[in-house]
Amino acid sequence: MSIAAVIPIDSFNVVVLIAVFVLISLGLHFTFGLLNIVNLAHGEILLIGAYTAFQVQEWTGSVLLGMVFAPIVAAAVGLVIDRGVLRFLYERPLDTLLATFGISVVIRQGIQLRYSANPRTVQDPIGGSFELAGLNFPWWRVIIVVATIALVFGVRALLDHTRFGLHARATIANPDLAETVRINADGMRTGLFVIGAALGGLAGALIAPINTLNPSFGVLFLVNSFLVVIIGGKGTLRGLVTAAVILGGSLAVLQFVVSTVIAQILVLVIAIVGVRIRPIMVEALEAR
Amino acid sequence: MNALEVTALTSGYGTSTVLRNVSLTVPAGEVVAVMGRNGAGKTTLLRSLIGLLPHEGSVVLNGTEVSELKGHQISQRGMVWVPQDDSVFPGLTVKEHLSIAARDEDSGATSAIEMFPILQERLTQQAQTLSGGEKKMLSIAQALISRPSLILMDEPTEGIAPVVVSELMLAIEAAANKAAVLLVEQNIDVAVALSTHGYVLEHGSFVEEGAMQELHESGRLEERLAI
Repeated sequence: MSIAAVIPIDSFNVVVLIAVFVLISLGLHFTFGLLNIVNLAHGEILLIGAYTAFQVQEWTGSVLLGMVFAPIVAAAVGLVIDRGVLRFLYERPLDTLLATFGISVVIRQGIQLRYSANPRTVQDPIGGSFELAGLNFPWWRVIIVVATIALVFGVRALLDHTRFGLHARATIANPDLAETVRINADGMRTGLFVIGAALGGLAGALIAPINTLNPSFGVLFLVNSFLVVIIGGKGTLRGLVTAAVILGGSLAVLQFVVSTVIAQILVLVIAIVGVRIRPIMVEALEAR
Repeated sequence: MNALEVTALTSGYGTSTVLRNVSLTVPAGEVVAVMGRNGAGKTTLLRSLIGLLPHEGSVVLNGTEVSELKGHQISQRGMVWVPQDDSVFPGLTVKEHLSIAARDEDSGATSAIEMFPILQERLTQQAQTLSGGEKKMLSIAQALISRPSLILMDEPTEGIAPVVVSELMLAIEAAANKAAVLLVEQNIDVAVALSTHGYVLEHGSFVEEGAMQELHESGRLEERLAI
């Protein structure tokens, strides 16, 4: 008996959706989870990545080249946002909500002016699929899963095993104290925001071939990425992945049973319950 | 040569002025104490010197004007701070603290353990779980292994068990052999034992200054600091 006979054929899509949830949340892990910036422009950073992939595809015919440029363009935009606006609001996290909301509107409207509201398509850079144990695996979706795993380990290594990561964690813990041990706290915060933007841009480009682009593309992912970071616990990569498995997995499975809209509503209910019970679970785990 | 020369320093929080026209000098290799009651402006003085508070006036460190520099630039030039509270980074281990402070990768933990052997057992422990005395030891060790020219110490013995205070005082004496120290202290006995020169701060201005022994013997210190 093949695996396909006992596992639904779409089960790989559950894994892909979980990977997408992780992918879209990694950038927000830096900007919101670590820096405490309520970054409502995160969806538009994804949008910039996706449209960069589209534009490079239009210019050169190469989507893969677009995947290279997407994080660079998003990082550059992130640098301008941080140096131009957010650095004045580091000590006022709630004000970052209003500022990033304004930035998100400007970016979204700018993209709509340039590309119109018409749907755009980024080609699958590789195309095709392979079969294994009776299951079908589209190559690009496999690459999304592999890239997500690599990025999670990369982020973990960066934050836990490099001097940059050590200085970043010190800055996040106590920026004033960090300054007094020769760490440029402002520079570290900018660095973290730019990395978050680059990860967001890369995520947007990677998921563009499996979605249809329009200027509202980023908004669709914004809510889910915030849910993942909040449920997982700000600043914890392990929590982020766990929350992505719960929320992404629930959405994927529920979509088999009910409509997409109902599934998303149910995921929100799961998220609300998750927020409610999370402190109790953390307390219980710490008591063990 | 003076390690620190402060002239006409005025500082505060927002529109509230805490320090007014404060001037002081810390000669190289000496311990100078600043004493005062709670709220006199002692911590504000240290936060201004290390670049964490905007201020007016001149701050010259080892002959270089640093009053326009940011905190990390001032600490890179050799001024370090041992804060009274919040002296460790939550989430970082003791070893990571020492690694941040060390000028080269290997010297940190070894030098710190020579100073405070108890830290050997605590290397992999999260620093926020240390006792108050151990946090002070870590903070002083961090300051010393960064090879400073001036250490700002904010009430290092405040709230510490008496048995640990003597160990900290020995460490401060050892520190004074390597760098000048500006010691903010409310405990007269500690200040007199460690410092050669003293200032008394009241309502943001210095009201007494002189050789520490002389200030102590004249009874002016006790008079000014009596509650």
